[in-house]
Amino acid sequence: MPETNLITDIGLNHYLVLSVVLFSLGMAGVLLRRNLIVLLMCIELMLNAVNISFVAFSKFNGKIDGQVMVFFVMTIAAAEAAVGLALAVSIFKRFKEVNIRFFEHLKG
Amino acid sequence: MSSDAFLFWFLALVTVVSGLSVVLMTNPIYSALSLAMTMIGVSALFVTLNAYFLAGVQLIVYAGAVMVLFVMVLMLFDLKHELQAFTRGRITGAIKIASVGILSGLIVGAVTMGLKTATTLTESASAANAAVALKTNPDTTRALAENLFIKNIFGFEALGVLLLVIAVGTVALSRSKGGSHARD
Repeated sequence: MPETNLITDIGLNHYLVLSVVLFSLGMAGVLLRRNLIVLLMCIELMLNAVNISFVAFSKFNGKIDGQVMVFFVMTIAAAEAAVGLALAVSIFKRFKEVNIRFFEHLKG
Repeated sequence: MSSDAFLFWFLALVTVVSGLSVVLMTNPIYSALSLAMTMIGVSALFVTLNAYFLAGVQLIVYAGAVMVLFVMVLMLFDLKHELQAFTRGRITGAIKIASVGILSGLIVGAVTMGLKTATTLTESASAANAAVALKTNPDTTRALAENLFIKNIFGFEALGVLLLVIAVGTVALSRSKGGSHARD
């Protein structure tokens, strides 16, 4: 097996590690931030990280199915952003702030 | 260093730095702009992976539509710097950061542990695929359309119904008077 250079030979693992780093950033944002809109942005970040790994697998396996799955993920992400922002608007109309702690009033 | 290696490292740096600033900026507008930069970087990464059509869709849908939606809602709310942007409690914050670090470390470890088998697999596979991929390279959009409209046509139609439901639900949600929590 020829020795592969980690810096110059870009393979599947590079894209997967980049995807993991972006996903972890998004997850840390969801856990740490309090603003609902920033939370939604971090969820979009996580979905994009998953998209990177889908497209990378699609290229390195030579199959197109991963890219079709990215289409579905994008549609679901757009729908989720629309519903989340509508919820944020309704929370803001009542409390004049979009902090996540107001969501405990949603029950009942 | 070859050009595609340089391109990958540059784009990885751009996406990771802008993704980090999404989490760390206290002003939500700066977070939104950093997220737009991340989307553009991811779209360029799709180009390096030969997914040209997906790169265009990523730019139009995310960097165009979704980011405009976010920024418009932020402008509607007129949010300034937040007084309490991050969660309270240093101990729980440390636990959260540690759990994220452990998760990412586990996945990166698993990916790089599988490096040996993965390289042999991808080398043989990519040697076989390289000729095919190069031959059919400009035609990935066509292959994508054929897969989407023949093999996955049911999922495509289901997504259309889902988008209709979401549109109706969003309008109903934003017009609602608050249910049992109505002011008066």
